[in-house]
Amino acid sequence: MTTTALGTNAVFTEEYDVAIPYMQRTRDYYVALGYDNPYRWASFAQVPFTPLSTPLNRARVGLITTAAPYQPGVGDQGPGAPYNAAAKFYQVYSVTTDSVPDLRISHVGYDRRHTSAADINTYLPLTRLREAVTAGRIGSLARRLHGSPTNRSHRTTEHDAAELLHRCREDEVDAVVLVPS
Amino acid sequence: MSLVARHIEANGIPTVIMGCAKDIVEHCGVPRFLFSDFPLGNSAGRPFDVESQAQTLELALRVLESAPAARTTVQSPQRWSADASWKRDFNDLSKLTPEEILERRKEFDVVKSVARAKREGT
Repeated sequence: MTTTALGTNAVFTEEYDVAIPYMQRTRDYYVALGYDNPYRWASFAQVPFTPLSTPLNRARVGLITTAAPYQPGVGDQGPGAPYNAAAKFYQVYSVTTDSVPDLRISHVGYDRRHTSAADINTYLPLTRLREAVTAGRIGSLARRLHGSPTNRSHRTTEHDAAELLHRCREDEVDAVVLVPS
Repeated sequence: MSLVARHIEANGIPTVIMGCAKDIVEHCGVPRFLFSDFPLGNSAGRPFDVESQAQTLELALRVLESAPAARTTVQSPQRWSADASWKRDFNDLSKLTPEEILERRKEFDVVKSVARAKREGT
């Protein structure tokens, strides 16, 4: 049964129809599995901000992904593959944006019950970005995109972040789109 | 990924994150965030739906251009499905038997040891 707000056609949603509380669900899940040292997600009071100074139609845009290059011989990485830790990567990588690279997400905890990672465009907007260049919406795309490892260690993440900044500067980008998968 | 966005932004390059895990990204605190209320793995739009993907990217670009301050989150108006029951399934413990919980723990220990071996071999 649906109900609407008084005097309008606006339909009330179900109580569970909110953004999934991933941190709480994940903590509860691993406690239930018997692990008593729950993961702590980083949090900061201060957040940096740099206004966009170049209009997008003249800007060079970079792309960073957490997807992993396909690695033959380390198990199923195809659509709907079970979680595959062997497909993880631990170094920042860069590949050309001239063609669509073979990047997969079997190494991360995406929602395998409700989606299957069968279409790379759901986690890597490279083709859509190239269309935005063609349409004149953005000036250009960086000549390469970068892969960010999904390590759960703040120390290695700091190291990777410094490396990714270095590569973005080499690419002389005016802005960066980051897409976790 | 949020830590990477913060580091790049702090060094003078504006960033926008396209993501599906609202609480995790906002908990960290990032400059700009386009949130799609979709299952994890669909940060850039719906599968095999060019229009959905193009709209998602366009919204991210508009957030990049027009966010007035840090911690700007915009939620995409797109819905994954009319029925939101998929949201109840992620790591849902209520349907697991004690045997299934043991089985999941065993699987997770295997995954951890595979990741450790890979990390140490890198």
